[in-house]
Amino acid sequence: MPVQLKKYSMPVQDATLRARNFDEVAKGYSIEIAIKEAQRCLNCKNNPCVDGCPVNVRIPEFISKIVDKDFDGAYSVISQSSSLPAVCGRVCPQETQCESKCTLGVKFEPVAIGRLERFVADFHNSKCEENQVKTQTNGHRVAVVGSGPSGLACAGDLAKKGYKVTVFEALHTAGGVLVYGIPEFRLPKKIVEKEVNELKKYGVEIITNVVIGKTVTVDELFEEGYEAVFVGSGAGLPRFMGIRGESLKGVYSANEFLTRANLMNAYDGKSHTPIMRAKKVAVVGGGNVAMDAARTALRLGSERVYIIYRRSMEELPARKEEVEHAQEEGIKFEILRNPVEVLGFNNEKNNRDPRNGFVSGLKVIKCELGEPDERGRRSPVPVPDSEYVIDVDCVIMAIGTSPNPLIKNTTAGLAVNRHGGIIVEESTGKTTKEGVFAGGDAVTGAATVILAMGAGKTAAKAIDEYLSKKEV
Amino acid sequence: MEKKECFVAVDFEDDDNVKGYLYWYLCKFANVEAGDKVVAPLGRHNNLQQGVVKQILFAYEEDAPFPVQYIKNIRNLIKTDSANLYRIIKKRELNSTVTMMDIYAPLVAKKAEAGQFIILRVDDDGERIPLTVAGFDRKAGTVKIIFQVVGGTTMRLNVKREGEYIADFVGPLGCATKTEGLKKVCIVGGGVGCAIALPVAQKLHEKGAEVHSIIGFRSKEMLILEDEFKACSNKLTIVTDDGSYGNKGVVTQPLKELIEKGERYDEVIAIGPLIMMKFVVATTKPFGIPTTVSMNPIMIDGTGMCGGCRLTVGGKTKFACVDGPDFDGFEVDFDEAMARSNMYSEFEQKEREHCNLFKKEIV
Repeated sequence: MPVQLKKYSMPVQDATLRARNFDEVAKGYSIEIAIKEAQRCLNCKNNPCVDGCPVNVRIPEFISKIVDKDFDGAYSVISQSSSLPAVCGRVCPQETQCESKCTLGVKFEPVAIGRLERFVADFHNSKCEENQVKTQTNGHRVAVVGSGPSGLACAGDLAKKGYKVTVFEALHTAGGVLVYGIPEFRLPKKIVEKEVNELKKYGVEIITNVVIGKTVTVDELFEEGYEAVFVGSGAGLPRFMGIRGESLKGVYSANEFLTRANLMNAYDGKSHTPIMRAKKVAVVGGGNVAMDAARTALRLGSERVYIIYRRSMEELPARKEEVEHAQEEGIKFEILRNPVEVLGFNNEKNNRDPRNGFVSGLKVIKCELGEPDERGRRSPVPVPDSEYVIDVDCVIMAIGTSPNPLIKNTTAGLAVNRHGGIIVEESTGKTTKEGVFAGGDAVTGAATVILAMGAGKTAAKAIDEYLSKKEV
Repeated sequence: MEKKECFVAVDFEDDDNVKGYLYWYLCKFANVEAGDKVVAPLGRHNNLQQGVVKQILFAYEEDAPFPVQYIKNIRNLIKTDSANLYRIIKKRELNSTVTMMDIYAPLVAKKAEAGQFIILRVDDDGERIPLTVAGFDRKAGTVKIIFQVVGGTTMRLNVKREGEYIADFVGPLGCATKTEGLKKVCIVGGGVGCAIALPVAQKLHEKGAEVHSIIGFRSKEMLILEDEFKACSNKLTIVTDDGSYGNKGVVTQPLKELIEKGERYDEVIAIGPLIMMKFVVATTKPFGIPTTVSMNPIMIDGTGMCGGCRLTVGGKTKFACVDGPDFDGFEVDFDEAMARSNMYSEFEQKEREHCNLFKKEIV
């Protein structure tokens, strides 16, 4: 049989339809297509894809199980390396990871590894088994701070090894960025809930509404009998540009906008959390978070949504698929533009005009790409006198975050770098404080779900070694 | 041993190797009860582990269940009554729109300090709202909140009865009000802000500082916490807008008079509506009296994630949830904060129209 040169395409919701609803965009492979796509895998000898995966899922092995129609077998291969397969199958940037290394991809399109991972996980989850998994507990207690990707991955691995793990979550729902940040149409909340319940089957206890560093300190966790602590508290304070007008009504951080829409369900009308339903929205930034915010704004009813990015399309850091989806849905990309001021409405004749103080436009300057900097990125250089105003009534800043200071401020002996990220030994996640490990955005600043998961798994391994050594 | 000691038998239920066996420990925590979780050293490595107290025995040394020279000590007692978590233990209406509640939240009660806040959600579809801690009882595990019915969420909270539960209650968040080194302080409270000012006044009073309190309300009907302020203030001035109780006027008048009379305050602490705090600052600034204000902007997570609570303080962007809520009043951009505070007024208006309960006058 000749090799199919292209990936089997992913069934998606029609672009004009989906731009107005919050249902998942990509519908997932059917059994037939999944098997056909799996058959594209050459099963090459050196498995380059496995090295491309931050958590080294044994990719060819699970793909060959799909070919054999042993979907449960495929799931158990993935779950040995990944704690959140249904999530990673949806949100990983496969094109720069596993799929970029695929041998088939050298000449043709690589195997759709991400889509197959998602298929396997969804197949498993559709069979809803609620039985408790029996694992032999070893009596050691570990506390995990934060229930985002790194925390869940760390908790999952430790629980499978017999540790009694308690996860502390500051918000009222477990999942971290998976529930407050990534929107429903890209990662349905039901999926996150399922993955969290999967961990509970292994005996992981999740306590919400506890802010470590405030309600309970890291030192108090040790006093309560936890022998090791993993800090996966995630990214914190949103960054702003420091330009004029950023305090006007209608300027959001992407975190706030997405939290209102996702975690607080502001989109569905039943929620008591308000969100601005602006007619014209500008999202500043070019990462996945910017795409999520722009596409969420569109679904909330905005007529026109712009992405304002200071470099060109080639430099856009967002996942390729998200950029394509955004374009199909009608998001306008204003590239090589940098905001210089947010303009506000002010009725000088009537200081009680309800429109006063709301955003009325965004002044941007055109940019050109200059010489590459030391990291090889071409930095944008403003073109003199090229400013103009884009007519918008809402501006969303999606230009990154800096690590949350709460834990650092209340934990003696925990060193952070000048950006506020917790300093760790990369191969173990070990911090400068005995028994404390860390990973994810709390260490690196804003990065991807899979990198955070990888860090959680690395730390789980190191915690296991640390506590086994302590025993002897 | 002269007196009876407390011995407890612990089952380490989480550890499959020892589950079902009882281990005896000496317990210095007098309030221990069967069913409590404790932390105790186990095995020859004395690993600290959590177990559950199954039996309690008060006995002299000779009757000890285990030779006293070998017995280990309970390290920590974890009292949690999870069935009662976020239960409304007490509810009292202070006036027609202001309500006080004691909420069972032992972890929050253990840490709360005057000036900090909590975030709550009334029910599962509810929004997260911040409320400043109005008091706490560490022993009973309760946190006191006082709120004014101003929007949809506070209305829904207000219809909850004693014994009912709210969905979520998290804290304590933000930084506590700094009281170190203050010998003489003027506390200025306005309306429901007095509820937040009270624990600060009480703390200063307990520490031996001279406390002058000025509390202002719209009218006599809206007056709250008079007796409580009387008890912790060396001097108490009450003002009402309409003169129906105390002096007629606004809080800045008596404040100015006191300062002009020669009262030398180490600090003025103002908590109330933004406009009141703005004018308190305008009053104290010419005299150069350090003035702290407590900001209560719109918030979601309260832990430094969303950035919704940002303020401009001294020309820099600050987040009320992690940097505040107290700020140097001279540095706060009040006009901007006032503009931002009504961002969702249209939405709130619609929420209010939903419900007949709102169709009484809101102050």
